[in-house]
Order: sequence, then C-alpha cells, then structure tokens
Amino acid sequence: MHDVNHAADRNARVSAIPEIVIAGCGAITAVGDGVEALRTAMRTGRSGLRKCERYSDTRFQSSIAGVALQNGEYDDPAYELASRALAEACGQAQAVLTSVAPERIGFVLATTKANIEALERISDERKCSEEGRRHLQGDLLAADLAVEYRAKGPKQCVSNACVSGLIAIQQGARLIQRGEADAVLVAGVDHLSAFVMAGFSSLKALDPVGCRPFDRDRAGLSPGEAGAAIVLTKKIFFQSNHPTIQSPIFLQGWGNSNDANHITGPSRDGSGLAAAIRAALTSAKVKLEEIDYINAHGTGTPFNDAMESAALRTVFGDSCPPVSGSKGMLGHTLGAAGVVETILCVLAIRERWLPGTPGLNVPAELAPGSLMRESRPANRINHVLKMNTGFGGVNGALVLGYE
Amino acid sequence: MNEVLVTATSAATQADLPNAKMGSRFGRMDLLSQLALLSVESLGVNFESMDRTRIAICMAVTAGSLPTDIEYWKGRREPGGPSPTLFAYTLPSSAIGEIAIRYRLTGPNLCFVGSRANLLNEARDLIDREEADACICIECDVVTAAIATITGLPTKAQARAAFLMRGTNGFLLKENHRDIESVCALVSAAEAARNSSR
Repeated sequence: MHDVNHAADRNARVSAIPEIVIAGCGAITAVGDGVEALRTAMRTGRSGLRKCERYSDTRFQSSIAGVALQNGEYDDPAYELASRALAEACGQAQAVLTSVAPERIGFVLATTKANIEALERISDERKCSEEGRRHLQGDLLAADLAVEYRAKGPKQCVSNACVSGLIAIQQGARLIQRGEADAVLVAGVDHLSAFVMAGFSSLKALDPVGCRPFDRDRAGLSPGEAGAAIVLTKKIFFQSNHPTIQSPIFLQGWGNSNDANHITGPSRDGSGLAAAIRAALTSAKVKLEEIDYINAHGTGTPFNDAMESAALRTVFGDSCPPVSGSKGMLGHTLGAAGVVETILCVLAIRERWLPGTPGLNVPAELAPGSLMRESRPANRINHVLKMNTGFGGVNGALVLGYE
Repeated sequence: MNEVLVTATSAATQADLPNAKMGSRFGRMDLLSQLALLSVESLGVNFESMDRTRIAICMAVTAGSLPTDIEYWKGRREPGGPSPTLFAYTLPSSAIGEIAIRYRLTGPNLCFVGSRANLLNEARDLIDREEADACICIECDVVTAAIATITGLPTKAQARAAFLMRGTNGFLLKENHRDIESVCALVSAAEAARNSSR
C-alpha cells in the first residue's frame, strides 16, 4: 500500500512539472561571433582550430587551439565571452524575457576556471582591473553577469569539470520546475589561458596536429575558448510570446553519474557514462530507437573516445544512431562545452542537419559504426542525445526534443 | 511517504588532518579534497550497506579551487612546468571525484562555487525527484592567506558534511534549512534538549 501511494504521489508530481523549452541561444566561439557562425560551420564542417601565437613556445605540447576572442587584449576575457553570448541569447528571447519580472529570472553560470587570466596577471605582477580580479571567483562572475542581464532571481555557479555546462542546463530547468523562476539564463564560459595549456601539456594530453575525435590516430585534445548562453523558460510562456512558432525545442530529460574510477582518466568500460545516458533517456521518456542524433563529448584523447564508444555500445548495441563530435571544430571549451554543444544540437534539430566530426579521418576500430565524418542533411531529427564527461569521473547526458 | 532527513553530520578542520588515517593517496591530495574527504569519513555512514549507484554527492566551495590554482601556477617557471598532479586538483569538483573513488559512489554529482544557500535544497530535490536515494552534502571553505589577499575573504580551512536520506530516524530537513552549519547547530540543540529531559 505504501508503494502504491508512493508511486501515485510521484506520478502526480511528475505530471505537474512544467515542460522546459529553449527560448534563445548565443555563442562566441572559434568559428566566429554568433549562432549564425556556428550554424554555417556546422553545415560546412569548417574548423576554427589554428596555431595560436600566444602558445607557440616550447613550454606547450601544441599551440593549436580554438580562439574566440580574435582581436585585442582582455584582462577579463571570461566576462567578455559570457556577456557577448548572453547579449545574443537574451536578444533572441526578448519577447519572453520582457514578459517576466526580473525577480523571476534566474541565472546559472557554468565555468571551470572563471577569469583565470587574473591569476596569471597577478602572479606576473601585470596590470589587472578590479573587475578582472573579482571574476577569478566564479560566483562573483555569475553575480555581475546576472546584474547586467537583469536576472534578479536565484543565482548559481556550477563547476563540475567539463560537464559543468550540461549540469548548469539541468540546474536551470530545476529552478523553473521547482517554481523558483519563470525563465533562467544559463551561460557557459572558459577562456584560453597559459594556465590550462600548461596543465594539459604536463599531462601530455594535447594533440600536436589538432584534435581528431574518434580517429584511429588521435593523440589528444585541443583547448578552446567560448562563451555560450541559453535561455530556458516554460513552454506556456514561450508559446504565449511566440505565437507563430508552433514547435519549440524541449529540454526533455537528463542524467548524471560518476565513474568512481580515476581522478583524471575515464573508466575503461564506459559504465558510468552508460548509466548517465540511461538516466537521461528514462527521465525524458524517450526510447532508444527514438534518438535520431548523438553529439558526443569526443575530446580526441585515446581513453575518452574509447570509453564513449564503449558506453554507446553498451546502451545502443549495434543500433547506434548517427554520432559526431564537435571539438575538432571548436576545441575543448571546458565549462562552456556543454552549453555550446547543446546549441549545436538545437541547430541540428532546427536545420534537420547532422553535424560532422571535423578532424576525423579514419575512424578508430571500435568507434561507433554510425560515426559521421561529414555533415549531411537528415529527413528527421526529433530527439537528440548530448553527452559530456570530465575529470573527477563525472558524466552527464541531456535529451532534447522537437514535437 | 518518508520525509528527507539529516541522519548524520560532521566537521573537519586542518588540525584534524595529521591524525587522519586515510591511506597513502590522501597525502597526495590538495587541502580542499583532504578536508572534504575527511568530513565525509567522519559522518560514519556505512555506504557499503546501501545501493551506491543511488548516492549523490553535492558540494559547495567558497573560493573554488583558487588555493590549489596558486600552488599549481607557482610551478610555471620550473624546468618541467607546473605539476600534472596539482593540475588535476585545479577543479573544485576533484574533491567530489576523490569521495566517489574512495567509497565507490556512482550517483549524480553537483558542485557549486560560492553560495552554500542552495546546497541542501538541491540535495533534497535530487531525492524528491528520485534521481538519488541519498545524498552526501559538503560545505568546504579553503581560503589561504594568499587567497584572502586577492579576494578579501577571511582565511579558513574547514569542511562540514551532512548525510540526507528518506527515513524515520533523523533530523527533519525543512525548507528554511539552507546550510549545513545551521542544521548542525539545530541538531546539537535538539540533542542537548533530549539529553537534559532524560
């Protein structure tokens, strides 16, 4: 009897949870400023990775990176990237955001290193503004961005390694579903830095010729920088403010897990990521065969890509939907990765276009057979699975849908 | 339906570290991970008796990984560059990874930088949504003198932990219980009142 009541209670609660839709997107990446630049690169397969003069000395294993802030010198690049992305996303979602009281707009920031530029400057006794120094702390960076974009509701700064972006999107949805906000601005940001380049160099984790996700000869990642932003809201708000758009893109479900295996390396069998994927599919109430496209984490490191391939095999068996990875186009943007790659998934759904895998030449032996080297049009993309993994063994998965 | 309860609380400070018997790996961790891990060990929870795929870990960290960032970056002028071992700890969520590895916990993770006000609320939400059956919550403050100079935060080195799960035996978690420190104080006050009435 207890179980029956429990199940009924849960079903009542689940049915009362509002549906979450994506009302706007913004992205500043290595392929250019704005979502349109990302859309064009997705369709053409153009890579934004290039040799970066800043990192050309012998301290670093590779100088190939995804540079988003092309011109000028910034002492607060994290704020610059995030703010520009938010401006675009809020512009797209203007109709929704102007109808919501600022106190009901939440803000979630995803970042791994916030404005680490300030630490480099302070350490070298170079000039650093008060704002730049303040934004070393991710929560203060979030607070200042929230003020600029009139989000006076709940604020959070999520820092779960390279899954930060996906978890920030989950958190944004939770704030709305719990009734703490009617709209949430989710931003992801990390900027290129000697700090991060030196770290991955010390781990021998950079591919000297640029990252090649799922390739037979892959040898490591290429760091990238990005600011990316998504506006989440309730379906009912979106539709009342966009009466001409019949079918918004839904955030349908998510899952996350830990490998409990190694602090920097992924598990060998992919069981942790497989558990996150299954949790996401279950919460989205989407069947395996309904997934039309998978955007992988695809760092290009030998262990990560092998682990992801194993996880996909575990979950999908021999019927894996089309898979591709985007880090050969954008670099590994760390805390921003989950947000910017989710925007790519939104574009894939809207355009009915399956993104390719820039950098991939010959697929690794155990890579999914459905791995796509080139981008191509698709008849239908109704449900997309996005996944990321990170240091500390964390895994995340998200399901987006289009009705 | 059973309520979400706090069934154990604990605290750890830097003074506790020299006496900690946590194995050789513990000594290689950064201060944040050591304090977080020791606070979880001090909870005294027998995780092995539970479904470890259903135990979440949520943490809030005052200044992120800045103290470790500074130590790591001091190595930039060394012949081999900064330490790869320390680089792994330049993420605040590394402490969660260490806890997951030690106790083989594979449930969901959440790591917040800054405000701890939402920590218990988020943990309860994970249990309410049945994304987890139980949740370890940790508040970790590591603010070294160097970080205090940069940020203006007061120096601190401490961690507090709480274990949340559904049940009938524990301290009832309510909406207004937002941080572990205040819950610990309430638990202590309740225990003192119970003892004095005996």
